[in-house]
Amino acid sequence: MHGLRGDPAGGRIARDVEAVTRRDAAAKLRGTAEFGTDLEAPGMVWGALVGSTVAHGRLRRLDLEPARRLPGVVAVVGPSELAGLLPSGKRDAERPVFPESILRYRHEPVAAVAARTLAEARAAARAVRVEVDPLPVVSEIEDVFPEWPGEEGPRSPHVIAHVRANHGDVDGGFARAEFVHREVYRTNGVHQVALEPHACLAEVNDTTWKVTTSTQTPFGVREDTAEILGLKEDQLVVDGSWVGGGFGGKAAAFLEPYALVLARACRKPVRLALTYREEFELGRTTLPSIVWLDTAVRGGKMTARRVRLLLDAGASLPGRDFATGYAIAFLLGPYEVPAFELEGYALRTNKPPFGPHRAPLAPQTAFIGESHIDSIARRLGRDPIDFRLAHVWSEGSTTPLGQKVGPFGAAEALRRAGRLAALWRKGLKPHQGVGVGVGFWGTGVGAGGEALLRLTADDLSVLQVEHDIGNGSVVVGLPAVAERVLGLPSGTVRVLTADTASAPYDSGVFGSRTVAALGQAVEKAAQQIGTTLAKRMGVRAKVRLEVERGQFFAVAGAKRVAVRELLTPDERRGGGLVVRDRHYGKPGTIDDARVREGTFYAYHDFAASVHLAQVEVDRETGAVRVMRATAFPDVGTILDPEMVRSQVEGAVVMGLGTALSEETLWGPDGRMLNPGLLDYRIPTLGDVPPIEVDPVEGFAGAGPFGLKGLGEPPIIPVPAAVANAVADATGARVTELPLTAERVARALKLL
Amino acid sequence: MTDREFACTVNGTKVARRDVPDDERLLDTLRWRLGRKGTKEGCRTGDCGACTVLVGGRPTLACLTLSHEVAGESVVTVEGLHDDPVGRRVQEAFERESALQCGYCTPGFLVALTGAIKSHPHGAGERALLEAIGGNLCRCTGYVAIRRAVASLGTSRP
Repeated sequence: MHGLRGDPAGGRIARDVEAVTRRDAAAKLRGTAEFGTDLEAPGMVWGALVGSTVAHGRLRRLDLEPARRLPGVVAVVGPSELAGLLPSGKRDAERPVFPESILRYRHEPVAAVAARTLAEARAAARAVRVEVDPLPVVSEIEDVFPEWPGEEGPRSPHVIAHVRANHGDVDGGFARAEFVHREVYRTNGVHQVALEPHACLAEVNDTTWKVTTSTQTPFGVREDTAEILGLKEDQLVVDGSWVGGGFGGKAAAFLEPYALVLARACRKPVRLALTYREEFELGRTTLPSIVWLDTAVRGGKMTARRVRLLLDAGASLPGRDFATGYAIAFLLGPYEVPAFELEGYALRTNKPPFGPHRAPLAPQTAFIGESHIDSIARRLGRDPIDFRLAHVWSEGSTTPLGQKVGPFGAAEALRRAGRLAALWRKGLKPHQGVGVGVGFWGTGVGAGGEALLRLTADDLSVLQVEHDIGNGSVVVGLPAVAERVLGLPSGTVRVLTADTASAPYDSGVFGSRTVAALGQAVEKAAQQIGTTLAKRMGVRAKVRLEVERGQFFAVAGAKRVAVRELLTPDERRGGGLVVRDRHYGKPGTIDDARVREGTFYAYHDFAASVHLAQVEVDRETGAVRVMRATAFPDVGTILDPEMVRSQVEGAVVMGLGTALSEETLWGPDGRMLNPGLLDYRIPTLGDVPPIEVDPVEGFAGAGPFGLKGLGEPPIIPVPAAVANAVADATGARVTELPLTAERVARALKLL
Repeated sequence: MTDREFACTVNGTKVARRDVPDDERLLDTLRWRLGRKGTKEGCRTGDCGACTVLVGGRPTLACLTLSHEVAGESVVTVEGLHDDPVGRRVQEAFERESALQCGYCTPGFLVALTGAIKSHPHGAGERALLEAIGGNLCRCTGYVAIRRAVASLGTSRP
């Protein structure tokens, strides 16, 4: 029996408030919200992973016996033990639980142990003898391709994806150019740094494999884990906990298969969590890229563009690369261009597999594309904002891949940014500069979800599989959609959470899709409630709901009837009026004639994201200080102003980390060199400049009431705006992220 | 194991146990022996501040503190803030200003601010309060709403 749980704030608290209150606030402020790291069960034992000792090698021998002999150890599992533990179903051959032969990155889990205490589990993990014949390590892009490869490129065994697209007369455009602007840019890896490490609790009995986990995607974890373990999906139940930060890092199965195998082996609940060092060493994160950009300019316009991308995909598997196809399209920015040619490779290296991080690769590609367009404008002596306005998409534009652009607020945002930049420029002191960055994103991503609303005489609730990951999309956004449709005050609709056995399907909290896409299912379900009640009241008018002394009333014109009277006897006795609806987004359509090779993703429902930043550069050290930033997000409409503000502020500061200080560093042996929060530096309270938010409304998206997703877009232009402000302040162009003092100092020829 | 007694008060309640090993950290004793899981485990290396508790009124990183170091002391965790007028004021400021998102760093911020206010009997200004949380990491809010919450506390007297 998988029962429902109320939101910890409780319906009563949620119902008493006037303004929008985060339904999770009370539990989080009092320390009672249960996160993945807090999960515990009677008789629980502790798991630990045994990792590869090399970044690349052939497993010669795995000796588990020394671990088995240690005190407190209740399970030791390696590849040979799996057959006896797992059902005979077909397991995903590409994703073995543990590798049997080739080890692809350092700390890749090769075995797992469980013991009565964490200390005993760690000791047992250390006692496992991993004997390996080392193989050559490919740690960087240059180890594969020291320069842009020629015809032989696709034949490299390290290529896991190769994409090409083109359109228009590229050669002609370059031949007729007044000048060609050529640059090379690099970006480095960034880590999500969710403060909560990955953690889960697995329990296995005769019929059910259950894992409770801190995840953005319970159904996604169920699908992944079932494939990896060879389980039927309905044998596996995934439950979510509160999520201590996701940012893409908790959007796929990770620890769950290991924990389940251990729980099956010892028949006890197993807690498995990463240390923070392991978070870095095993992290599925953004990895480095190198990009060559050539742009033909004629008559003050970009007439032809050539973009080449090499992307470090880490130990990702062929066919599982999802990044190259859209990263490369993002490099052209939201700009019209008559002719272009794109070519990109995803390269397998001996780092952990690539993983998504808040708008995967978009801040990096926007930094590259926007630095390039900025330097072209400067070379032309044009105002960078005017130059962008001469090219930027508006409704009806065609994207490079042949998609039609819907309502798109970039030009309006740029005009506002231009007016503000003029004001800021009046007060500039030496070594200060102003920069603009433009990004775009598509929300909805084609992923689906279903909503279940339940109305009783004294309650209206949304049933949801995910807990909120912090952005408020679940605890504020989804109920707010239902409230607005039914005319209810904020805080009246409760959010209930249940596991994958009980809650309706949803693909997950990712891709800025929750309110924009799943919200459409909630919107339709709420409308169903309205029409059902209207029919029962015998009215044609739109029905809204009111709450009085805890009781719900349906109101249409002068007619007002208690919901209790409108429910059928069965509904009154049973579970109330239950309505379901669904939203399965359709992918956009790209023009196949433009695609030569590989997979490109048809994003749609584009949102623009424009930021302005002012910086000051220390002329002796190269250190960059961001003095202020203003964001002009293309939001469609605003459901809750507080959510808009908090998403933008958080994204700007995270983007400042990407811009200035965050960088995963890797040794030639594939070892991560800065696996800790002292050496991988995220912004702290003292680094934060004043941030203003000036939302651009009126360019409707496909979401409820015309809203657009907002989790990711506001991080995208941050590094670009900062880099362009640095160029404005100094005249020097820094071509690699992050803009550390050292890189800026080199650009200024101080080093 | 040890036969040394671990004795202190946690949120005003006396605690005495004999099963706390000499090398156990206060973070683990609080979370796994005493069930006080509001104190969060982040980095375990003293870099993130999520595990901040008050020991004798001083903000202390529970991940870097051996449990037996707090013998005889009064320990306050996030679960104890609601019973304290200052703690409650800080919680209300965070709720009012939406100064929390995922909530994982929140206990550390609340405890550190409560400790800072209480250690300034003549009132802690905004600057002193911001310094008190300068070492706490937050990845969701960008600290902006947290700063608003601190500003809304005004000059805070215990």
